[in-house]
Amino acid sequence: MKIYTGGGDRGKTSLFSGERVGKDNNRIEAYGDLDELNAVLGALAAGLPEASPGLQAELQAIQSDLFRIGAWLATTPGASAAESLPPIDPGRSVWLEGAIDRMEEDLSPLKTFILPGGHPSAAWAHVARTVCRRVERRVVRLAGDPPPGEAVAPLGRAMIYLNRLSDYLFVFARHCNRRHGIADTPWKA
Amino acid sequence: MESVSRDLQPGPFAARILSRRWLSPTAFELTLERPPGFDFQPGQRVRLGIGPNARDYSIAAAPGGPDIVLCIRRVAGGEVSTWLSKAGIGTELCGSGPHGYFTFTPSPRPAIFVATGTGVAPFVSMARAGTKGFTLLHGVKRVEDLFYRNLLAASAQRYIACLSEEAPVGSDVFAGRVTRHLERQVPPGTCDFYLCGRSEMIRDVTWLIDDRFPGSRVYSEIFY
Ligand SMILES: Cc1cc2nc3c(=O)[nH]c(=O)nc-3n(C[C@H](O)[C@H](O)[C@H](O)COP(=O)(O)OP(=O)(O)OC[C@H]3O[C@@H](n4cnc5c(N)ncnc54)[C@H](O)[C@@H]3O)c2cc1C
Repeated sequence: MKIYTGGGDRGKTSLFSGERVGKDNNRIEAYGDLDELNAVLGALAAGLPEASPGLQAELQAIQSDLFRIGAWLATTPGASAAESLPPIDPGRSVWLEGAIDRMEEDLSPLKTFILPGGHPSAAWAHVARTVCRRVERRVVRLAGDPPPGEAVAPLGRAMIYLNRLSDYLFVFARHCNRRHGIADTPWKA
Repeated sequence: MESVSRDLQPGPFAARILSRRWLSPTAFELTLERPPGFDFQPGQRVRLGIGPNARDYSIAAAPGGPDIVLCIRRVAGGEVSTWLSKAGIGTELCGSGPHGYFTFTPSPRPAIFVATGTGVAPFVSMARAGTKGFTLLHGVKRVEDLFYRNLLAASAQRYIACLSEEAPVGSDVFAGRVTRHLERQVPPGTCDFYLCGRSEMIRDVTWLIDDRFPGSRVYSEIFY
């Protein structure tokens, strides 16, 4: 299938809800950054050791969740096109919490800040975490745009998911270091 | 008409070819049996798997009918479309669907449908489902490619055939491409545009919309 028309060559694109907007529009920034997050998660998964099929599957499930969120970011709240979108399931944030708790069981409590880094997989998880925080900020900005109320409820659910995902990625990074016998480096003030 | 319902989950299916009707020397309507439980919204498509190849085809039937109807151009040298143009009646095809979001949602804005060639298929489905009152520009090379003309003209508020290679005959025919018609004959305004077919048409019309129809909504389905 041909994926290009050139319709966007003059700096505009169409939202899922049909509006033509500049490519520097807040909505495009938000789903562009979400796309970046998805790509970084792919890099993270690709760099995991062979013996981590469980973690790989978890990351892939998250990548699918991000696609679902991306469709909402590309849609003006309240537009009729939103009726065709699959809802953002709040259960997915609860699922992330379960994964965080499971990884944390084997980690020693933190007493100081740690430097992002260590094993390459841990370093990628930290990169993903910071991109995730940026996406979260973008979504907060979108949710603050009118119209308020029910129409932005899906963005509220996306914010919860992204907030939880950032925490997940932080713990994921520590988990990777632990699996590779690398101690997190504490920050020395 | 409603937009795509969330519970229409695409899935694999097998369906036999029931009939083939030639619409022009190179385009045909292929009717497949509708597999049990297969439901779709006008504007959606199926993906057919023929050997190692998979190709998408928009559904031209009304939902709720007994069959899946496709409107297919036999492309010179094209593997799947040529195969489908010859496959025996009764052949079982494997596919999946329904896919896609190119569905019509009514709004207070005028709806302008623009198709090239077989890109008219999703609009045929919409018309068969009872959608009315739209403007439809159908861009084709020759009169023989104006399939479904009567059906579409009956549902549309304005039906304009845009012929790029033949001199026009009739009041609903325009000599030239759809872009030229939009530029010259359609007054500027805020509309809902649904574009389907060749990517070059979609690009040119999209640019024209940016220049001449600011604030409009644009929904596109690229065939090739
Ligand atoms: C979302 C979607 C919906 C589609 N719906 C339809 C449909 O309803 N009816 C239909 O006929 N096709 C449709 N197509 C195109 C179809 O999927 C195939 O690409 C087409 O049948 C050619 O496949 P092929 O294997 O015969 O030729 P290929 O060898 O794959 O293609 C050869 C060339 O044929 C040209 N071509 C492709 N489609 C067409 C066409 N429709 N008319 C003229 N030239 C073409 C292109 O230049 C392409 O590069 C759709 C495509 C997409 C992505």
